[in-house]
Amino acid sequence: MNIKEIQVPSFLRRAFNGRNAIISIPYLWLLFLFLFPFIIVLKISLAQPVIAMPPYTDLLKWGESWWPTIQASLDSYLFLFSDSLYIHAYLSSLKIAIISTILTLIIGYSIAYSVARAPTRWRGILLMLVILPFWTSFLIRVYAWIGILKTEGLLNLALTTIGIIDKPLIIMNTDLAVYIGIVYSYLPFMILPLYANLEKMDMSLLEAAADLGCRPLKTFWTVTIPLSLPGILAGCFLVFIPVMGEFVIPDLLGGSQTLMIGKVLWGEFFYNRDWPVASAVAIILLAILVVPIMFYQKSQEKAIS
Amino acid sequence: MTETTTTEPWLDSNQKPYIQIVNATKKFGNFTAIDNLSLDIYKNEFFSLLGPSGCGKTTLLRMLAGFERFTEGRVLVDGEDISEIPPHLRPINMMFQSYALFPHLTVEKNIAFGLQQDKLPDNIINQRVEEMLELVELTDFAKRKPRQLSGGQSQRVALARSLAKQPKLLLLDEPLGALDKRLREQTQFELMDIQEKLEVTFVIVTHDQEEAMTVSSRIGVMDSGKLIQVATPTQIYEAPINREVADFIGDVNIFKGIYKGQDEKGTQLLSEDSKSIIYATQKVDVPVGNRIWFALRPEKLEISKKLPEVDCNILKGKIEDIGYGGSFSTYHVKLENGRQLTAIRANRERTAEHHLTWGDEVYLHWVPHSAVVLLS
Ligand SMILES: Nc1ncnc2c1ncn2[C@@H]1O[C@H](COP(=O)(O)OP(=O)(O)OP(=O)(O)O)[C@@H](O)[C@H]1O
Ligand SMILES: [Mg+2]
Repeated sequence: MNIKEIQVPSFLRRAFNGRNAIISIPYLWLLFLFLFPFIIVLKISLAQPVIAMPPYTDLLKWGESWWPTIQASLDSYLFLFSDSLYIHAYLSSLKIAIISTILTLIIGYSIAYSVARAPTRWRGILLMLVILPFWTSFLIRVYAWIGILKTEGLLNLALTTIGIIDKPLIIMNTDLAVYIGIVYSYLPFMILPLYANLEKMDMSLLEAAADLGCRPLKTFWTVTIPLSLPGILAGCFLVFIPVMGEFVIPDLLGGSQTLMIGKVLWGEFFYNRDWPVASAVAIILLAILVVPIMFYQKSQEKAIS
Repeated sequence: MTETTTTEPWLDSNQKPYIQIVNATKKFGNFTAIDNLSLDIYKNEFFSLLGPSGCGKTTLLRMLAGFERFTEGRVLVDGEDISEIPPHLRPINMMFQSYALFPHLTVEKNIAFGLQQDKLPDNIINQRVEEMLELVELTDFAKRKPRQLSGGQSQRVALARSLAKQPKLLLLDEPLGALDKRLREQTQFELMDIQEKLEVTFVIVTHDQEEAMTVSSRIGVMDSGKLIQVATPTQIYEAPINREVADFIGDVNIFKGIYKGQDEKGTQLLSEDSKSIIYATQKVDVPVGNRIWFALRPEKLEISKKLPEVDCNILKGKIEDIGYGGSFSTYHVKLENGRQLTAIRANRERTAEHHLTWGDEVYLHWVPHSAVVLLS
């Protein structure tokens, strides 16, 4: 009867209660699926390329002594800044990401707005149609665009048949094709957060604005847009961040002059087999993206407080 | 009141109504929310709409403000048909039952919103906003966002916002419901003040009949999308046209019975609540033997332990329950047939020698003049 109670130290008991266990799941997720891979990439970016397997030097060199010596070099990073190709690729990616985010926002907002204002029984179906393309592989959908946009493709065929143009348009392998591909592929990521926001908007606010003498168009700018700002931000980041690193669309639809950092990254890994430079490209890309992410975090915090 | 208007313009056939609602009907699908309703409201009136929840008060206001289209009928303001004018062009402001404050704007920006639409100069806007903030006692909260306010504070912001534009017609949907008693009474008087100063016509929806009594020039009692009675507070209280109105406005004792004719004491009613005939002075024009009702306000029912020295309208009962209300007490008296009546007596003496307590055998009595005869 007199079993001695096992004394668990209080800090351990606190660390392993149910609440902490649940909270720790996302942290563990981040640790294993984000932080570890990131550290590995960072480590490779500080190494030197060699012709070996794996194709880079070890960061830690075990010599005669007990302690390993660290062999880190910033050569890969210096290389990135010495060759203007990389800076151009970053800037070009930034430009393409910004322009396509804006295009996606304009198109996505009008779609989200009309779905949110449609009769309730229609909304589910309309939303379904927005998500429907996801049922087909992304790659196949991009390939389909080649069939539409190429010189003897569906679009040119249709336009020449109707007689709007007599020479086929050159769209394939230009930046325009890349924009079309990106806007098309990322539209659902813009529409969904915008729809979620617009759908729960209190319609009596629009009535109140009208009641106070505000014209409908002005109400849209002074009430609807500010209130949907969280949705706009979420949608823009969901589009901007992946587009920055986009590789497939510029590779398939863009021309040789379409420069995007994702394509460069791919080239470094698979054609040059220069893993350290490729890793450095990735790390710098991440550093560039951290700025808008922090911006987004700030705005979210402000919205909550 | 100005010299051009009488105090009771609705009695003067020369007066033109400011707002005319003509045969208004509003249907939501098959459901009729407003049923062929006609109403004239005069300039500078303080018109209250009263009625049970869901009777169509908000719908009627929304039709006036332009948010609900008329299924049938129309509304004229100052003789002009505005039924087809969109809400942002109507010279009407409305305070929403749900407040509808802009969550992304501070209190002062909310109040300034309507003024900014009129493109007024900044200094005038600021001054007006300050006045409004003072009026609703929210000067210290000017920089807050709506979600940082309590319910009552939000309500005051909504009120200030609708008042800021000083419209000719102001629609208030339960404007004071969430305020405490002191602030409510204060704001009621402020509203009446504003109305006289700015010559605003008010249409106000309220659940609080005391409030309706205090502030209104006239009250419209609604039920199921129809107006049952439109009259001054005194008329509504003292001469309700049917049991529904009588019951809805204040407490009332109703005696059901058979009309037995008239004599020198008035209308005779044979009721199962009384062994002898009871009387009301008011005359009626229905055949003898019809079912009619007497309505009697609790304060008109006198209560005493001694047998009153009168020859009619005496009922005997036993005190069931006493509610002490400070200046008055409410007595629930059970008659011999089990019916319970309510009487109110002012607490004039601090230590009443006619002290009444639970279980006392008492007499209830009223003068025939106090009872109202109802035909339905
Ligand atoms: N948009 C609508 N669609 C369908 N029915 C509606 C709509 N708006 C109101 N109703 C119905 O019309 C009736 C009147 O509603 P209204 O809001 O005018 O009531 P109210 O008198 O203001 O009630 P309360 O005192 O509770 O505010 C209610 O039965 C309500 O369900
Ligand atoms: Mg209502």
